[in-house]
Amino acid sequence: MNARGGTAGWPLARVLPLVSVALVAAPALVGGAYSLAASVGVVGAGAADAAWSDGWRVLLTPETWRSLAWTAITSAIATLIALATAVFIGVRLRSSPMGRWLAVAPIAVPHVAAALAAILLLGQSGLVSRLAVGVGLTSVPADFPALAYNASAVALIATMAWKEFPFLALTVLAVLDTRGSALEESAQTLGATRIQAFRRITWPLLWRGVAPAVIAVYAFLLGTYEMPALLGPSDPVPFPVLTLERSTDPDLQRRGEAHVLALTALAATLALVAVHQRLRAASGDGD
Amino acid sequence: MDRTSRVVFAVLLIVVAAPALALVIRALGPVWFFPNIVPSGNAVQRFTEDFGGGRLWRAAGTSVALATLTGAGGTVLALIAARSLARARRGLRHVAEAGALLPVVMPPIALGVGVHVLALQLHVSGSLVGVLGAHLIPAAGYVTLYLLGVFSAYEWALEDEARTLGAGRVQVWTRVTLPLLRARLAEAVLLGALVSWGQLALTLVVGGGAVRTLPVELLAFLRSGDDHLAAVAALLLSIPPAAGVAVLARGMRSTGGVV
Amino acid sequence: MTGPALELRDATVRFGSRDGLRDLSLAVDQEERIALLGPSGVGKTSVLRAIAGLEVLTAGTVRIQGRDVTGLPAEQRGVVYLHQVPSLFPHLSVVENVAFPLEIRGTARTSARRQALAMLERVRMAELATRRVTSLSGGQRHRVALARALAADPAVLLLDEPFAALDPELRADVRESTLGLLSSSRIAATVVVTHDVDEATAVADRVLVLLAGGIAQSAGPRELLARPATLAVAQFLGIPNALPGQRDGRGRFASPLGTIPAAGPAGQMVAVFRSDALRIRPATASDQQTADARVIGVRHRISGTVARVSVAGLTVEGIPDGACPVGGSVALELRVADVHLVEPPQRAESGPPVGRPRV
Repeated sequence: MNARGGTAGWPLARVLPLVSVALVAAPALVGGAYSLAASVGVVGAGAADAAWSDGWRVLLTPETWRSLAWTAITSAIATLIALATAVFIGVRLRSSPMGRWLAVAPIAVPHVAAALAAILLLGQSGLVSRLAVGVGLTSVPADFPALAYNASAVALIATMAWKEFPFLALTVLAVLDTRGSALEESAQTLGATRIQAFRRITWPLLWRGVAPAVIAVYAFLLGTYEMPALLGPSDPVPFPVLTLERSTDPDLQRRGEAHVLALTALAATLALVAVHQRLRAASGDGD
Repeated sequence: MDRTSRVVFAVLLIVVAAPALALVIRALGPVWFFPNIVPSGNAVQRFTEDFGGGRLWRAAGTSVALATLTGAGGTVLALIAARSLARARRGLRHVAEAGALLPVVMPPIALGVGVHVLALQLHVSGSLVGVLGAHLIPAAGYVTLYLLGVFSAYEWALEDEARTLGAGRVQVWTRVTLPLLRARLAEAVLLGALVSWGQLALTLVVGGGAVRTLPVELLAFLRSGDDHLAAVAALLLSIPPAAGVAVLARGMRSTGGVV
Repeated sequence: MTGPALELRDATVRFGSRDGLRDLSLAVDQEERIALLGPSGVGKTSVLRAIAGLEVLTAGTVRIQGRDVTGLPAEQRGVVYLHQVPSLFPHLSVVENVAFPLEIRGTARTSARRQALAMLERVRMAELATRRVTSLSGGQRHRVALARALAADPAVLLLDEPFAALDPELRADVRESTLGLLSSSRIAATVVVTHDVDEATAVADRVLVLLAGGIAQSAGPRELLARPATLAVAQFLGIPNALPGQRDGRGRFASPLGTIPAAGPAGQMVAVFRSDALRIRPATASDQQTADARVIGVRHRISGTVARVSVAGLTVEGIPDGACPVGGSVALELRVADVHLVEPPQRAESGPPVGRPRV
């Protein structure tokens, strides 16, 4: 691709790309920088009072690490379920336009709305619980298992998977569409059963195309606030919820801690983005 | 479709439709006695009530205003960025993509906490302007990535042709670039608007609870125990994105998309 | 093993959203190689895919070595289908590709690799065994795909326009080596789909011509070229000359070019013949012709020069002998032995295709 293209003779052409990137990325960087500055007390609410190391102490508390670990694990489980669903749906319904529409539909529902729907559906006094009474399985709300507001996070994981599998399904379908079915057909006539063909041919090639998206989904779920806020437990507190709580705490010291937590989340995200870019570069060549 | 696929389709249909169904059912009435399936009470009355209904419509208005401005503003920023980056060297493009990716992947909480401090300094914390600025950040990122994709399939030859025919830079923009991209730009605005529409964490942190968008009110209704209005808010919240996604999907299909 | 290796009976295949070929019946004998020859879009690939089990027959049966495989999925039929563009698995190396059919049958990896290497030796690709398939040239990919197919030890091998994706200069060589390989293998039946007449006649023991409506002719290459069954077949084969005329039922056929001996019942017929059956030379005073013949064009080809002549309101093509400039008057000499009579279009279209296949 020609680097200069149609910009010969325009001196700004060199600078404009960099300026544009700065325009788009800078606010995020600035936001991050501010967090950093605020966490060491240079700016922000605690600037006058808190000693600069106090905010960072929050990283040493077990509460913080429990929160982080719990969020990391539940997000991972949700990501895997979303991936499995997306691959299954994508492979099964790839030739059905209606199936594709359905697989993509949850994208239209905002995360808060999805979380609320989960409460209304899976809560102890929710729709499924009422249906259970109707069928005779239970009689009071307490009979229905507690799927929300506890550490087992069943409702939360289900909601996260529900919201994220369409995005992965889109990626799966895009990969499958690009390749077409010739490879699977060859495998079939060479004697491979459907399972053998999937395991040896479809999946290895699919993973290459889908891996970056899986990382992106995981990174997103780690940092998302809406769903854990509505469906998560109060012990351990989901990490984004913990961060927001601290940032609105009247105790200024706690506010400083919020910045530290925010930076931790950012660091984790950046690490995942690096992995994401690596995977993309690796899958870029070769077929 | 063979039988297994038909079963899969049916299960998918239930899984996808159930949450929407739950919202619709709950919105039918203010009181939901257990174990009734359908709520009871006068729903219509609540919407005319000053407190309950009025809040909803005001919040919806705020959300619409924010979404529109974010969509437009984000697209302008992203267009400049993507257009100039699209013909840049591969190395620079990768850096640019990473740059555009940053506001997208940055957890809204992390972003919000930092931006909040900046907003305080600029005295826009807790105001619509501050929240708009905050929303613009992820929106610009998403739209930049989208437009980068659009430009990768763009027919540059058309612009070159116009220039050899005598069109100046501005004319190329107004007579070639913008008309060619009209549909895609509309989609970009839609995308930016959708990003703003669904924001909750960012609005809460930077707006401090003073800026009442639809998601903020949804959370407030829920926290105060009013499932009914929360469900109504959720439905209001879901309708524009549904329409928006349909438009975007149709656009994607015409350019060889997946659905 | 007696009986046909592959048999299709009254098969109807969908072609997109409508029915393509209907009530198709054909049989391939043991160790026979047939070509399905026809224009693009007639449905030849659909037939092939239906035999392979990649598409469903809306009616009819498929039998392989006497076994009814109509309801069986592709992997259980013992049929290998080779796509037009070789579909090698990009994430596996050359030898891994060839070993694939062995490994999925349960062969241990080392043994499978060994057998795969032996197969690669036969196609002269053994040195490239560990290469990624994405780095191979067209001809090399073709050979690897063939080796992989043979490793599956199929009863029937289906080749979909196998040489079309290759550069023209390579085609003849690859074709020869492929045929050599196939002859020395245990494959019971080979079906090659092509739209190229030369390719069909070069590779097949028997050619089935598929035109809209079904199998128009099933014959060996020589007979096909010498005696096409219908006018449509003749036109598809590229036979340039078609002279309408009348057969009198008493051994004579009258055409604008003169009378030739022809057995058969009375009726309107069309005489078809190749360019090399018609000799064109400059007219001399002593020539008596029934009609005035003039050269209207001369075409130079690698295989020789042909002249187009206008005579009696028709255009014919033949080989010029001597100077035959455009516009010049010429005499025509037809080698009667190479003329073949076919039915005129209307009659043939209203009934079943002439020349039912020999099953």
